Amino acid sequence: METTAKTSLPKPDTPGGAPLLVNPDLAFIHTLSRRIGENYKKCMQCGTCSATCALSPESAPFPRKEVIWAAWGWKDRLLEDPDVWLCYQCNDCSTRCPRSAHPGDLLAAVRQESIAHYARPRFLARWVNDPRYSALLLAVPAVLLGLAVRLRESIGGALGLVADAGDRIVYSYSSTLPHWLLNGFFFLFAILVLVAVVTGVVGFWRDMKAAELARGGVQVRALWPSLRTTLKNVLAHENFGECTTARIRYVSHPFTFFGFLALTVVTVWVITGGINPLVKGDFIYPFSFWSPWKILANLGGLAVVTGCVLTIRERLFGTAYNTAGNYYDWSFLVTLILVALTGFVTELLHYFRLEPHRHVAYFIHLVWVFALIVYMPYSKFAHILYRTCALVLAESFGRKRGVPPVETSRQQRGEEQP
Amino acid sequence: MSSRRILGVGRNAAVAVIPLLIILAPLGHAIYVEVLADDVDDAQAFLELPAEPNDGCVRETTYMRFHHWELLREVRDEVVRGGVRKEISLTRCRECHPSREKFCNRCHQAVSLEPDCFGCHYYPAAAAGQREVTSR
Repeated sequence: METTAKTSLPKPDTPGGAPLLVNPDLAFIHTLSRRIGENYKKCMQCGTCSATCALSPESAPFPRKEVIWAAWGWKDRLLEDPDVWLCYQCNDCSTRCPRSAHPGDLLAAVRQESIAHYARPRFLARWVNDPRYSALLLAVPAVLLGLAVRLRESIGGALGLVADAGDRIVYSYSSTLPHWLLNGFFFLFAILVLVAVVTGVVGFWRDMKAAELARGGVQVRALWPSLRTTLKNVLAHENFGECTTARIRYVSHPFTFFGFLALTVVTVWVITGGINPLVKGDFIYPFSFWSPWKILANLGGLAVVTGCVLTIRERLFGTAYNTAGNYYDWSFLVTLILVALTGFVTELLHYFRLEPHRHVAYFIHLVWVFALIVYMPYSKFAHILYRTCALVLAESFGRKRGVPPVETSRQQRGEEQP
Repeated sequence: MSSRRILGVGRNAAVAVIPLLIILAPLGHAIYVEVLADDVDDAQAFLELPAEPNDGCVRETTYMRFHHWELLREVRDEVVRGGVRKEISLTRCRECHPSREKFCNRCHQAVSLEPDCFGCHYYPAAAAGQREVTSR
């Protein structure tokens, strides 16, 4: 179905009024409608959304064109459209839409489809985004990790991985869930994740670039400078700063983002304990509460929880979103906050020295960490790569954020309001 | 909009730079400790071995290293709740591990676990003239 749709599609905006054959992908339309309802079909193509969007480029702005593509079932064109990922769902368009077509919701649903389309293997993408498989997907890491812990001594002996502790103290965590075991376990799956996510993102990039060239786009900037600009944009949350309706995310996303970054930095520090020259011999795990690394980890965990709580509150009770979100939004959000919360429970039980409770808590924490990281290529978490790629491509093809909304630019020029 | 300033720098820069500085702080501290500071007391959480290893200890060395606290807790329960006193007592530990500072506190402090034992139990330095350093 996809291939036939692709070949029969003429170039968009064909000059000279050449006839346009619309060959809708009905399955795609049904998928979108199942996720966000049929509101997007109310669109009358007035363009208020594109005009009001602070992130939209000046030429061929979104989301007006995407809404009609969706109504026509142009799946291919939507999935390879970088503009879908330039949208941060500020929902400024949705609040101003005279027909309540909620373009913000539509682009969010298309992004979900994009991840599901490009991620490999496909069946995992289907399972991760289907609540019926959630128990199975959690059981897999629980069983695998349980087996690894159960067989740790024979595995360690066979691979020669268990180093003699010497005069070193071996703490309780290290004896039950030893570091070499966890590092090996997660390293193995990290490689699989890397292969899966790179395969998906490379396909996405290829399609996106081909589509951009077919539209007559010209690459105006090299990739590295584009990547630099994009990373600066991502770190500074420049695009979030342009949002008006979903303003809260200019706070909640930096908290989650930098909290997670802090936790990643500490994790890398711990994993490289054996070879990191800055750790050397006095590497002690678990860290002391007042170790600078532990302080950073605790702050990072608190930041992630704060960011997630703000997001959950906004989704449930706020006005920024039209709907509370679907399983794809919530599974990522809940996994993320559970990783942080189970981490804190593990830490607390460690200080209270409750046995075996602390090991059980640590085990549950590790299962959620697995769910967050290993299912990353298929969950909303994949946005860190898909969105970055689209931003880099847009930057290199000169699709920059457009001029600010009309009122603001008038004020800047000192003109009077009409 | 982006001309607003936080702490003297542009808003965008502040959003990125302040968290990054916090995230890099422990690395800076580690570099300072490892590279720049010459005379740092890097108190390591290594075992201070007794003079005569495992000479008549109640359990073998590996067990004690991994599970001494389980044993102590078991004995505590037996004595306090069951009223059964056997051969194991904290007093005997002192024969080989005279210093509470070296044998208990050092490792416990490394992972922020204060030993509970000495809230009630008296564990003075064994050797004459050796001053016990207490953390409380």
